[in-house]
Amino acid sequence: MELILIIGSPIVASIASFFSSKRKACETATIIAGAVALAAALFAVLKVSSEGTYSPNDYFSIDALGAIIISLIAFIGFIAALYSTAYLRRETEKGIIGFEKVRLYFILFNLFIAAMFLAASTSNPIIMWIAIEGTTLSTAFLISFYNKPSAMEAAWKYLIINSIGLLLGFFGTLLFYTALTHGEGIAFSWDSLMDSAKNLDPMIAKIAFIFILVGYGTKTGLAPMHTWLPDAHSKAPAPVSGLLSGLLLNVAMLAILRFKVVADAAIGGQFTGNLLIWFGLISIVLAGFIIMVQKNYKRLFAYSSIENMGIAAMGFGFGGIGSFAAILHIIYHALAKSLLFFSSGNIFLRYSSTKIAKVKGMLSAIPATSLVVVIGFLTIVGVPPFGIFMTKFYILSEGLKTHPVQTIIALVSFVIIFVGFLTHAAALLFGNAPEEISKEKENKWTIIPLAILIIAFVVLSVYLPPPLKILIDSALIKYQ
Amino acid sequence: MIDAMNNSFFQFTAITAVFLSAVLLHITKRNSTAVSLYFIQSLAVAALLFRPLFENFSLAVLLMAGLTLAIKAAVAPLFFSRLIKRHQLKFSASTYLNTPLTLIVIAALAALTNSRIFSHIASIDPDNKKILGLAIAVILVSFFLIINRKGAVSQIIGILSLENGIVAFALFSGLEQSPALQIGVIFDLFVWVIIAAVFISMIYKQFGSLDVTELKHLKE
Repeated sequence: MELILIIGSPIVASIASFFSSKRKACETATIIAGAVALAAALFAVLKVSSEGTYSPNDYFSIDALGAIIISLIAFIGFIAALYSTAYLRRETEKGIIGFEKVRLYFILFNLFIAAMFLAASTSNPIIMWIAIEGTTLSTAFLISFYNKPSAMEAAWKYLIINSIGLLLGFFGTLLFYTALTHGEGIAFSWDSLMDSAKNLDPMIAKIAFIFILVGYGTKTGLAPMHTWLPDAHSKAPAPVSGLLSGLLLNVAMLAILRFKVVADAAIGGQFTGNLLIWFGLISIVLAGFIIMVQKNYKRLFAYSSIENMGIAAMGFGFGGIGSFAAILHIIYHALAKSLLFFSSGNIFLRYSSTKIAKVKGMLSAIPATSLVVVIGFLTIVGVPPFGIFMTKFYILSEGLKTHPVQTIIALVSFVIIFVGFLTHAAALLFGNAPEEISKEKENKWTIIPLAILIIAFVVLSVYLPPPLKILIDSALIKYQ
Repeated sequence: MIDAMNNSFFQFTAITAVFLSAVLLHITKRNSTAVSLYFIQSLAVAALLFRPLFENFSLAVLLMAGLTLAIKAAVAPLFFSRLIKRHQLKFSASTYLNTPLTLIVIAALAALTNSRIFSHIASIDPDNKKILGLAIAVILVSFFLIINRKGAVSQIIGILSLENGIVAFALFSGLEQSPALQIGVIFDLFVWVIIAAVFISMIYKQFGSLDVTELKHLKE
């Protein structure tokens, strides 16, 4: 029942938006669907934390890490539904979009959420692939939402690069399927793959994982397959950028991790671990240099996502306490990055530009959003006592034991990124706001969703609720 | 014995058709020829899917093969043909490498299928090693087509050809999925084709060209 509600409610909201002729109906359907999915997800998560897995039928099974990702999708998806409503209303008031665009937005927004839920909850790798491909298809028109040449270009790049990546991922998935050819009639599922992992030819297992890492790594935004990400994330409407960065990257990372444990069972953890460490390190270093010279705040956040997925990849590559920290890191990053992208929407609404040079004096022009941005910047660069400080610390300390050179390079990159973020934050916050910028009070509904995210982030930085702690521990047993 | 020989001759002819169309896609300059080549390639893949029905009839396999034929060999080529006609996109944009260099790279990619790594993959089914080698060559040549072509239509057809190569590989290596899952993948492909066609149309309206090197608005 929970799963039907989790996946079904956004689909119903999408259909309702399709047939709706009123903006309010689209908004209400989306918010109700978000609330229903969140409540159902909480029930499912509690079941997983008490029973280990939740498998209502042969095609669906939620394990501990899947439950963590599903709860993130449900929570941030609900906040995004609230924020989208306020954000799109402001855009309509400014004459940027009309009702047809709003309707299209809510149709695709809900389909996107449903596809992510499906990907995280299915027990079948092919259905997961179909669902992740579904996220590409549902978001392509959201990236080209404003019909500007640059947005069209970003969406085209996104469609082509991700489609190629996913086809390579599909090929890798088929190669993993060779493990099952020894047993006739065995269903293709994560569990059956794991049980048959010993049948995998070691060479095939290595090649298959490389295809998986390159394929799903493209969707995760790992360098050097990341080229679509800064364009797509910066051109999409702010709430969608938040979902792309905060959630979709994690769903793709989940796919990589699920294949990693199968490959590890066949060939040991060193091969996959080293690959993750190197791809992660390249992502961090590349993001570090580009963040320093970035001129667009949405692209700045997008490159930060590449860096953070690199950190998570390194953590999972190191294993041990690194994996524990990496799981926490994807939770914190999801919250912090959606916070930053949603606040980028508020900046854009006031300044009508995403260029850092054109945004000055935020503190006086939009004080509430400025406070959110300051907190967002501090959380994302990992200032103590925020959670990302701890996760980076644990990942680096684990890395120093086994891969000191890579760890030190990552540490130097973190310093560069910290300086880069601080410089850009100062440029955005201080100075005099341009005279044409309106001084009107910010709409509370564009602030309240952000405040909820901050509260969630701060609470989780200092306290892990017991069910979440159980989930992380169970995930660690399987994925480290 | 004769049946087995006929079967392997049929399979080899079909995969050769798939491979040759992937190679010819590199050479053709006309968009309509590219669509026709994709039609031939898809027809060959669909024929491979229909073949088992002559030995063991299964409604699910018939449905899946029929859907594949309908979407890959009818709907997709029709969509692209109408698009080409509507916007008069007679010629595809040029390639990054000239034709002789392109052919040299294709030859190198075909030779690469005999390398240790790819030959290991082709050994998944030792009876079909040569055919699997050709399927891998289709994957590599299609991948190169996407990289080497500057035209949006060619890139899309390159992705579809890459997908055909993977399907052929799955068929010959015995890794094909259950019909229900294959229908899911085909449905995904169907939606993808529609979205890609809409994007091609939007790009042409916005930029007045389908040459992807003209897309320079993201360079900041």
